[in-house]
Amino acid sequence: MTDSKLILVKNILEDYIYPVLPYKLVTMIREIPLEKLIDLTEIRLRVNQPPLLVLANTDILVSPMGKESTIHGKTYVCNQDDLQKTLQLISKNSLYAFEEELKMGFLTIDGGHRIGLTGQAIVNAGEVKALKHISSLNIRLAREVRGCADKIMPFIITKGGHVLNTLIISPPRCGKTTILRDLIRQISGGSKICKGLQVGVVDERSEIAACKNGVSTVDLGPRTDILDGCPKAIGMLMLIRSMSPAVIATDELGRVEDIYAVHEALNAGVSVLATVHGRNNNDLLYRPYVKELLENKSFDRYIILGDSPSVGTIERVIDSKSNEILWDITTK
Amino acid sequence: MLLKIIGSILVLITSSYIGFKMAASCQERPRHLRQIISCIASMRSYILYARVPLHEAVAQCTNGIYGPVATFFQKIATMLEKQTILTPQEVISKVLHEMQGSLMLNTPEIEVLHVLGGNLGHMNCTEQEKYLLLVIEQLERFENEATRLRDLNTKMYRYLGVCGGMAIVIILV
Repeated sequence: MTDSKLILVKNILEDYIYPVLPYKLVTMIREIPLEKLIDLTEIRLRVNQPPLLVLANTDILVSPMGKESTIHGKTYVCNQDDLQKTLQLISKNSLYAFEEELKMGFLTIDGGHRIGLTGQAIVNAGEVKALKHISSLNIRLAREVRGCADKIMPFIITKGGHVLNTLIISPPRCGKTTILRDLIRQISGGSKICKGLQVGVVDERSEIAACKNGVSTVDLGPRTDILDGCPKAIGMLMLIRSMSPAVIATDELGRVEDIYAVHEALNAGVSVLATVHGRNNNDLLYRPYVKELLENKSFDRYIILGDSPSVGTIERVIDSKSNEILWDITTK
Repeated sequence: MLLKIIGSILVLITSSYIGFKMAASCQERPRHLRQIISCIASMRSYILYARVPLHEAVAQCTNGIYGPVATFFQKIATMLEKQTILTPQEVISKVLHEMQGSLMLNTPEIEVLHVLGGNLGHMNCTEQEKYLLLVIEQLERFENEATRLRDLNTKMYRYLGVCGGMAIVIILV
């Protein structure tokens, strides 16, 4: 298990992460034994601050000799040029191709790894036009964990093989997208408890399917159609009209048009799998637009995820209609 | 006498060859400029509408174009793809240096291409479009000038080659 995790981390770093980092930083990180990076979740670069490798429960500051350090002052300090070079490598000298993503403060590289950015916003008429002088980058490593949705499957599939509308709720970095990806793969591929169904995926941020030239680079099953880089609301309606899916999956609901599109899908008889940021379903009652989905009981199941004891822990499965807790980590 | 005739023919052929060669190079410049303009216009479409990465836009913009200009853009595309650490400006400078013998361009055109590299890929689509249109406009001015010079000088170089050869033959004989 450890060996396979090591190989997975090594492959992610070599194939996707090192190609977008300046050579100097790659050399330093390579000096750190791979065993210490087994739980690597993020690489954070900030101007005038040391590179930070965020692990599951701790973090490592990288020193000039590439040794890990926890003492600020003995570490390498990133400069503006390091971040500029990283951005150049990430965008492949093509910032115009990531214009819309940059406005939202993130972009996604091959392999579905999302890179968050902060800097100085250029605002025009109250709207962010672009980001300049990038001062922080957060490279989040995406992992494909096959079978991580096994526990959830029995709760969201009816005896007739119908997929219940399911909302996955968790704070950031708790594995929403990873679980959603595995749910899609299992529903599309079929399993002991359900036959394979046509699944449509609206992957607005290119994170679920990690598409390269429109083709998924992760296994999402044989019956999955992916609309890559398309806004959720438009994409869901497009899929309903054009691909007649039995299930539509999408990530991170939040805007008013997303909620409208979910209602459209539900009224069209399509099951919806979606994720949303929040600590639990009660939290969502305070969020504009999303609370409508809860008040109308649009979804049948709420899956609450957490990061304790590890990322991707399923804390609770709730039946929204009766408010019954179908699964609880504390009483399992 | 036979030697004199052979010598005269050789002198005439050589001078005519030089004249025709100079006329041909005079004709190449506007053709190269026209091809470069066409490639940049095509690249603009790939950038604005298809939003493909720069190396792909540069590689695809040479469709239907052959010769040194196509090689120039293909080399840029390959270098941008393989040596991602280089900026477009560095890549264009390197390739221009490598191909200075085969591209019939004068210093002002080369300067415009250097500046093109400096602003490629670092802007959003709107600014990129404005800039590419500006570059195309500048190159079109150079092309018009090159066409005028071609019309003016091509025949002159040919006549000069042939007549020069004849004059040498008459003087020597």
